[in-house]
Amino acid sequence: MKTNVKIASAVFAVAALGLAGCGGSTSTAESSAAPAASVAASAPAASEPAAAAPKACEVTDVGGVDDKGFNQKAYKGVTDAADQLGVEAIVLESQAETDYEPNIQAFVDQGCNIIVTVGFLLGDATMTAANANPDIPFTIVDYAYGDNEDGTPMIANNNVLGQIFNTDEAAFLAGYLAAGTTKTGKVGTFGGINIPPVTIFMDGFYFGVQKYNADNGTNVEVLGWDPNTQKGLFTENFESLADGRAFAQNLVDEGADIVMPVAGPVGLGSAALATELGMNKLMIIGVDSDQYESDPANQGVYLTSVLKNMDVTTFNAIKAVIDGTFAGGVTVGTLENGGVGLAPYHDMDSMVSPELKEQMTALQVGIIDGSVSVKKG
Amino acid sequence: MNQASMPMPRESYELTGKRTKELTKRQIRKARISGIVLLLLSGLVMLVFVPAVSGVSTFGLSTPDDAIQLDSLAVPSAGSLWVLSSVLAFLGATQFFRGFQGKTTIILGISFGVFAIALMVWAASGQEFSLISMLVATVSRSTPIALGALSGILCERSGVVNIGIEGMLLGGAFTGVVMGSLLGGWIGLLSATLTGGVLALLLAVLAVKFRVDQIIIGVVINILVLGLTSFLTAQVLVKKPELNDAPIFAAVKIPVLGDIPIIGPMFFDQTIIVYGMFILIGSVTYLLFRTRWGLRTRAVGENPKAADSLGVSVAKVRYLAVIYGGMVGGFAGAWFTLGSVGRFDENMTGGRGFIGLAAMIFGAWNPIGAFLAALIFGFSESLQQKFALLNIPIPSEFLAMAPYLVTIVVVAGVVGRVRPPAADGQPYEKQ
Repeated sequence: MKTNVKIASAVFAVAALGLAGCGGSTSTAESSAAPAASVAASAPAASEPAAAAPKACEVTDVGGVDDKGFNQKAYKGVTDAADQLGVEAIVLESQAETDYEPNIQAFVDQGCNIIVTVGFLLGDATMTAANANPDIPFTIVDYAYGDNEDGTPMIANNNVLGQIFNTDEAAFLAGYLAAGTTKTGKVGTFGGINIPPVTIFMDGFYFGVQKYNADNGTNVEVLGWDPNTQKGLFTENFESLADGRAFAQNLVDEGADIVMPVAGPVGLGSAALATELGMNKLMIIGVDSDQYESDPANQGVYLTSVLKNMDVTTFNAIKAVIDGTFAGGVTVGTLENGGVGLAPYHDMDSMVSPELKEQMTALQVGIIDGSVSVKKG
Repeated sequence: MNQASMPMPRESYELTGKRTKELTKRQIRKARISGIVLLLLSGLVMLVFVPAVSGVSTFGLSTPDDAIQLDSLAVPSAGSLWVLSSVLAFLGATQFFRGFQGKTTIILGISFGVFAIALMVWAASGQEFSLISMLVATVSRSTPIALGALSGILCERSGVVNIGIEGMLLGGAFTGVVMGSLLGGWIGLLSATLTGGVLALLLAVLAVKFRVDQIIIGVVINILVLGLTSFLTAQVLVKKPELNDAPIFAAVKIPVLGDIPIIGPMFFDQTIIVYGMFILIGSVTYLLFRTRWGLRTRAVGENPKAADSLGVSVAKVRYLAVIYGGMVGGFAGAWFTLGSVGRFDENMTGGRGFIGLAAMIFGAWNPIGAFLAALIFGFSESLQQKFALLNIPIPSEFLAMAPYLVTIVVVAGVVGRVRPPAADGQPYEKQ
């Protein structure tokens, strides 16, 4: 019996270790104990002025910094700042939505000079933390704060810079391109979770296809999203690559030959399927970053990517803090200011006819000068 | 409510023998309740689905690559819904007034099948969807669930509760991809299997030798593997992406059999992991119920004391069964990486191990039963996707919940009286 008790307590100790390992807390420990080791891209050790370097701290969403898209792209803004401005870059990955608050709090306690939160889902946690720490500058990707119902601003001290992106402008171009490239007359899309930063891609994509139909008298169908009902195909997570594969397979079975997954790393599963089927059967439109570059294993299947350049906006926010010019509010990334855009076609260049390229260029001009609306076909 | 209101036909007396005589008030109540549920479902089809449909519902039965092309099946939506709803009403009324006694489970299964068809007819009204691709996806998606259930069955038949299946899946998925990237898919598959075995060895040592509470060990394995793989992903795989790029086992079509319409693509044009699942389900069924090893394993799971007194080494039997079970779990983990996307991502198994546990209970600790249960879960997962695509007016969040709802209904309601091995979860101490 005595052994039993001993073993049981040993087991609990292991369990505690395991729990720590799966929560965000381990990463905290790592980054505080060995900042240089935990962040590969932080400023080189030699030039590190130890404690004096300002800290730029990023809390990711559950996808993780290696998602080859959304979180990774924002993190690039932080590491660029580390390289160019000499700040110390620290990152905490959220493993679950319950990690948001503790992760932000950990950074507050560490005395971060700016806290970058990545993702719409962190909106509430960021607001709470920003109001509790009115002197710390925050910047959040994919969220813009307005006023409360009683007219007071949601962020009392205006210490949060919200970054929002008119991704529908770039997705509109992608939809137009897809409609002009499809051979089956059907293109598809699916999302991670039905939230505005995801569905804005799908809206733009849908209307881009409709625009192509209107311009060229075609009848290309969009599977997986209906902007009128705001309903469509969602994996309900940003993690399961197997879902990404299955959802893309589902769309292919229904006749689509171009798919735009808007679900972070889940889309890598779709790309793996496309690589297996061959690009004649399925091409993928990447999102957030140029996935031709960030997912070299599946290079041959990306028609293009809808770029959302939060690295630039995040970098600018950090730079503003260093320069002492930081101001809260909202910054909007558009096609015009380069905050959103379409990646080069790379290997797929020959797939896109010169006429279509011409149309695309004209369309881009039209969107920027406002003569083309991306909110309708 | 008395016995007289439930007249028993003579045939059912003879067919079901003793059971009918013991028909209790509880059973009568159960029959009434399930009868009402079926009548309600029938009403739902008649009053909600029928007014909402028009035209025909078209189901695709062939993919463009099939050797034998079948025409799409087009059925008039409203007409077939009337028929389906009448069948449901008939079954419900019969169950309510007479009860099906011994056949109740089968009848309920058929009824829910009929309702699922009605759902599909309603969703596809005026549209077309590829039924065959949904069935293929059903088999593929139920593979990790069925293997997870099998892993649990092997352990629990010997009397060791294994709720660490999820951890074994995740561990297998991880080592599978790393070793697969380094040394090729087959070595990856082998490593995944061995990883499951090693984790199971931990379970076995703690459960059999040290007699630790088996539920706790299972939880520890799940959390430990999740933490460890997430840590290694962040620290190793991110920096060395070449370790996270394993080859994928493509579907292998079996000649001739693979060309049979419908059944061919479902069962004979899948990856080797799916074939492995079929082989394992068959062989474990044989081993458990037809061999001396199986008899001993089951004896140890039911009454270890008796088995011990007849000279069977309880510890040895349990060690072996648990390790085999773990290896099956690790093999199942390879489905997520080597059998699907060739890449590992944190927590990518997404709770399939726990669904496998439910499939094990639903299948009454029997491999074939567990496989059928897994098919139901796989079906509801793939149905959910098709529904989202058909743009039916059910929120996608609700559809995503559906498989878990099915789990609850099935485990709590339909299964009811299945019995686990008697000594399940009890450490055995030799006197």
